Amino acid sequence: MADRTELYDRDESFAVNGRPDRPGRGAHHGSGHGSHLAPFRVPFIDGDKTLAQVTDEVCAPLERKSTLAWKATFAVAFTAMAIGVACVAYQIATGIGTWGLNRTVGWAFDITNFVFWIGIGHAGTLISAILFLFRQRWRTSINRAAEAMTIFAVICAGLFPIIHMGRPWLAYWMLPYPNSRGSLWVNFRSPLLWDVFAISTYFLISLVFWYLGLVPDLATARDRAKSPLRRRLYAIFSLGWNGSTRTWTRYETVYLLLAGLATPLVLSVHTIVSFDFATSVIPGWHTTIFPPYFVAGAVFSGFAMVLTLMIIARKTLRFEEYITVRHIEAMCKIIIVTGGCVALAYGTEFFTAWYSANGYERFVFLNRAMGPFKWAYWTMVGCNVLVPQLLWSKKVRTNVALVFVLSLLINVGMWFERFVIIVTSLSRDYLPSSWSGYSPTLIEIGTLLGSFGLFFTLFLLFCRALPVIAIGEVKGVLGYARGARKGAGQ
Amino acid sequence: MHLNAVDPNAGRAEAAAGAGEHAVSRRSFLRAAGFAFAGAAVAGCDRALTHRIVPTLDQPEGLTPGRALHYASTCGGCTAGCGIVAKTRDGRPIKLEGNRDHPVSRGGLCAVGQAMVLSLYDSQRLDHPTAGRERSSWADVDRTITQKLARIREERGAVRILSCSITSPTTRAVIERFLGSFADGRLVEVDALSASAILDAHLRTHGVRALPRYHFERAELIVSFDADFLGTWISPVEFTAGWRAGRVLDNHPHRMSTVVQVESRLSLTGAKADERIPVRPDEIAGLVGGLAGLVGARAGRRIVTGAPEADATLGDLADRLWRARGRALVVSGTNDAGVQAAINAVNEALGAYGTTLDIEEPSYQRRGDDSEVADLVGQMRAGRIAALLVHGCNPVYELPDALGFAEALEKVPLSVGFADRLDETTSLTSYDCPDHHPLESWDDAEPVAGVLTVTQPTVRPLRGTRALRESLTAWTGAGERRTDRDILRAHWRDHLFPRQSAHPTFDGFWDETVRQGFAVLAAERALRAFDSSREIPSPAARVGSGMALVLYPTVAMHAGQHAHSPWLHELPDPITKVVWDNYASLAPVTARSRGIEQGDIVKVTVGERRIELPAHIQPGQHPEVVAIPLGYGRMGTDRFAGIGPEWLQGRPTVERGQTVGTRAAGLAVLRDGAVQLPDVEVEVAKTRRRVNLACTQDHHQIEEPKEIGGERRPVVQELGFAAFEAGERPESHEEELRSLWPEDHPMRGHHWGMVVDLSACTGCSACVIGCQAENNVPVVGKDEVARHREMHWMRIDRYYADEAGRIETLMQPLMCQHCENAPCETVCPVLATVHSSEGLNQQVYNRCVGTRYCANNCPFKTRRFNWFDYRHEDRMENMVLNPEVTIRTRGVMEKCSMCVQRIQEAKHEARRLGTKITDGEVETACQESCPSRAIAFGDLNDPDSEVSRLRRDPRNYRALEEIEVRPSVSYLALVRPGSRGGRHG
Repeated sequence: MADRTELYDRDESFAVNGRPDRPGRGAHHGSGHGSHLAPFRVPFIDGDKTLAQVTDEVCAPLERKSTLAWKATFAVAFTAMAIGVACVAYQIATGIGTWGLNRTVGWAFDITNFVFWIGIGHAGTLISAILFLFRQRWRTSINRAAEAMTIFAVICAGLFPIIHMGRPWLAYWMLPYPNSRGSLWVNFRSPLLWDVFAISTYFLISLVFWYLGLVPDLATARDRAKSPLRRRLYAIFSLGWNGSTRTWTRYETVYLLLAGLATPLVLSVHTIVSFDFATSVIPGWHTTIFPPYFVAGAVFSGFAMVLTLMIIARKTLRFEEYITVRHIEAMCKIIIVTGGCVALAYGTEFFTAWYSANGYERFVFLNRAMGPFKWAYWTMVGCNVLVPQLLWSKKVRTNVALVFVLSLLINVGMWFERFVIIVTSLSRDYLPSSWSGYSPTLIEIGTLLGSFGLFFTLFLLFCRALPVIAIGEVKGVLGYARGARKGAGQ
Repeated sequence: MHLNAVDPNAGRAEAAAGAGEHAVSRRSFLRAAGFAFAGAAVAGCDRALTHRIVPTLDQPEGLTPGRALHYASTCGGCTAGCGIVAKTRDGRPIKLEGNRDHPVSRGGLCAVGQAMVLSLYDSQRLDHPTAGRERSSWADVDRTITQKLARIREERGAVRILSCSITSPTTRAVIERFLGSFADGRLVEVDALSASAILDAHLRTHGVRALPRYHFERAELIVSFDADFLGTWISPVEFTAGWRAGRVLDNHPHRMSTVVQVESRLSLTGAKADERIPVRPDEIAGLVGGLAGLVGARAGRRIVTGAPEADATLGDLADRLWRARGRALVVSGTNDAGVQAAINAVNEALGAYGTTLDIEEPSYQRRGDDSEVADLVGQMRAGRIAALLVHGCNPVYELPDALGFAEALEKVPLSVGFADRLDETTSLTSYDCPDHHPLESWDDAEPVAGVLTVTQPTVRPLRGTRALRESLTAWTGAGERRTDRDILRAHWRDHLFPRQSAHPTFDGFWDETVRQGFAVLAAERALRAFDSSREIPSPAARVGSGMALVLYPTVAMHAGQHAHSPWLHELPDPITKVVWDNYASLAPVTARSRGIEQGDIVKVTVGERRIELPAHIQPGQHPEVVAIPLGYGRMGTDRFAGIGPEWLQGRPTVERGQTVGTRAAGLAVLRDGAVQLPDVEVEVAKTRRRVNLACTQDHHQIEEPKEIGGERRPVVQELGFAAFEAGERPESHEEELRSLWPEDHPMRGHHWGMVVDLSACTGCSACVIGCQAENNVPVVGKDEVARHREMHWMRIDRYYADEAGRIETLMQPLMCQHCENAPCETVCPVLATVHSSEGLNQQVYNRCVGTRYCANNCPFKTRRFNWFDYRHEDRMENMVLNPEVTIRTRGVMEKCSMCVQRIQEAKHEARRLGTKITDGEVETACQESCPSRAIAFGDLNDPDSEVSRLRRDPRNYRALEEIEVRPSVSYLALVRPGSRGGRHG
């Protein structure tokens, strides 16, 4: 067993170091393994890790007994999930009336949560696919966890369209399956149907992408596993990975292809989710800016959530040397950019409303800022426009505790963005007679809580069962900015 | 009706078959015996077939299962006597419609009338007579009451019948006969909504105590002092039809009458009035006096003495009245005989008698005499009344507390009620002998002189009740027993048949009358001249200070007679849009100055009496007025505690042991022989408590909030009459929005469409209840309405527009607009809402999964979602459900279908007969009930149809035309009289 590990490590290190065309920053200098890097570069991974050390440290959380902190967090998350399950069960048994919706506001917490979680689910694939294609090699420390986050967020998101139905037991009617009801078919003109396809596709591709990336690490876990059951399970899921060059080559090819496949999905999913609103006739929804605005918002919120999770993970799983302050900084910079996009979109919406001279449009935006839901609007603006501005300062970006707080605020802000779009637009549309307020019931709040419970339950289980950091990929960047120093020292 | 699954003959047949083969083995014998035994056993414990079933072989003539039968009858909802047609299906009435040929109501039926079909199936109606609140039997009560009455006859005791106005000639005759058997028997009539003063005034001016018949259709200028004639005053359906006839804008020449409403609260009539003058209630006497003086001056004679000085507004009004003499009408709802006498003098001076109102062929819709009631209570208190029979009214609830009816009732040894349940009065009387519901009894009525209507039963009595006439006949003399129908027919044969000449035989006359629901007979026209020899003193202006109290009936509750109808409780008040409660209405400025907000509980102190109820802020109301609706706080309304869905955060509609709303009738006083508003200063004090008044509308202005734009939304378009005559038209986007796309729905056959005339619509809400009855719309309770989850498919949006400081009220009926480019249809993922080839937007309930996307995307917000499974547990009440329309389950969307079941029925019938559907053959429920005929429905592809003709009307516009959803429902712009020009919208 030890042999196998050693062999595997050797194979792997060979594979990593020997990958002939592995993209890297230093590659433009010609061949060589980072030995000609500029001296100002800093390594991605701190602590001068050896390859074996990386394997040991990343696999440690899987192999040691769960800590008290993990147990406590899990208990909280599980309780929240249980509350959510109870709320959803009660709602399905009793009726949608247990939510605070009304004849005017037909969607509120349900679809807000849905869009929020779908948005969260964006960062993972963005990090693993788009940053991969753009050769942002710092992504390696966070891509696994971010992808896991994507999967769990999409699971949370996917629940809401089902439970928000009046008759969720008929949810399968949304699928165009052959049936005995004559020519009865789904409505391909409905954006909700596009959602079904967009989200299921996105979920499947993300899951495959994540799983494929996991295979080498599952093999590592398999080889290190002490109990036969664990070994057996990891063996099944590692698909007989043997670490050979051929395996690695094929793996790399498929990974690249999947990255290419996943990239348009990152853009398409939220574009299609935004169509739910953009194709409607409701002022405040009927807006052509929505697709880019939603994608930017999704990336923005996704990175905020990745930050939240990574800051917790690096602390509790002792991964400070893998997920370094520089990673956090890089993510902060993306947040500044996407936050800027979002702020621009907010401004553009107001400009368009004024410039269009459409009375309904103008009213709905003034109403957001000055109407009965202005508190939600200004919470959104505060969290999404003002908070990211603090990140221009390097002092803030490198202050992990502060970044953690800011990431939470951005999450709050992005939740409110969706709430503002959905609820304020619906609550005051064309006929003043039908205008209505909205306030959530305990069941709705419990369901939102439950979705967080589900998300963190899944994430905590993930931390215990799978390598949180992509071992193989991290090893690939281990030499980054270190080779030169090592070389100099030799 | 179903047969049992096990046929008792099966065994025998088998045995016979075996016998035929001459091979009855032991086994086959035992098997056959077993079958026969089992069959016999099953037949023995069968619970079905105990009553005779009617196999189709013996199908009654004219009765086809599944086909509706219509019976003409008379509405018993109030004393106005509107004609109805009861639609029955499989022997049970499910819908009431107006009788188009009826000379009084002319086809309309108000919300209360529509809701009468529900009260028929009220499972809380008594099933038996009661004695001392305990269950009794008819034989027992008959025996004891007859004995007691016999003793009273011997002792020459005083017997009184206290009743609401009795318009039925037969009942009057029966009562006369009954009372005639006593030495001292009298009928005292009382109206909960008293018009006693009008009758008294006519006694003074015309020498006859009668209510004139008002002909609003003949009036060009109507000045009303607090008479809500379109809403609740005397005969609103009749008056609405009359008022409507005075406004013709779709046919040339145009006709446009003007209504000037002088009132203290905002009534339905005030909301529709062309000019409105808010005043204190106690100012009215002075204003009427002033007007009488001015009209007299123009007539060149003094018609009242001591008329006060009048201001310019009144002068202008007098000028206009004088110019319109012969075509003018002045009415007043004030129950003050002095004021009414002055009104009579004005009408006389204007030549209104004989033109716009008629005292020679009077109305009998109100006959009550308040002073007689006061005398009666005095006699009761003095112990001089031996027996009191109370019919059709609820004096303990309805009369002013100051009269002390309840205490006086205790002094009456024998008291009998006829109410359908133990109410405030019958729970205090010695007996209650429940009368039938009007839909299950024979009756007749003469609401106005010469119009005799018949009420025929549409169903056998559902409860163990008995007609009043049968009870009285049984108690008269030798206990003779005659059926109600015989009593009625006998009276008609003897007294009414001779008054006509069209029919040679009584049976022919009777059958024809019953078939069409009424007969027009020659009235005994008596010449009643205005007695100008008597001086009429100008009513004295007694304007008090501080706040003044106004008590008023609502469109749904009237004076409380309908407080057991959940439909009417959930009907949004046409003005306030509040349901399931009454309130103290205060003007916005008054509320602001006292720091009172909507829903704050206020303490209203009137002299020594005090009630607490929530505050409602009412624009348009006079600032010194607190107005309280009557009809709430009825005993037993805590039955509605559980009417809505019960869930974690759900709140009951009414707390157990409480009542829906608060009784206010007790605050009235008896003054000058009539029940009037108290003339004391009223105190309104805020308490620390507040409740959530369930109101279907949150935003009441047609304009956006001032701080956010403040622009007027163009959904209700308005034109001044002068501007309209000058060629001004509602705003249209038809031209600029020509689509590049081919027609999505060609609609080559029919294209159903609707046109709603906003000039005609008064907002009376009859259509809302009509729709509810037709389409099985559930009642959801107060909490759900407060959460904005009312289920009505049809609603009336009420907006206030600020016109130079005056409040103008706009009413817009809204149902699904059946858009040609329906936004709801594209977004449904499962195609549960689709367009029919006939232009209907259809909702497929069993395909709906309930995403609510359609409702979100509906610009008119007419879609209704089934948030819960609404209650359908009362099996008796379920009999009101229309079997043509599905009951929707939880989790599906529903909305107006344009009564597709009626369209289908007409299409099937046309196909069966091989004909085409003619225009007007299909009428939607809302259209049918409308007293002002504001709704037209028909085929837009037929260029000659009424709806196509109205579509071409220059006032036609479609709501939200600018977003190009192309509704199949369009509106005719609201045209206001006067020179006030300019377009709004």
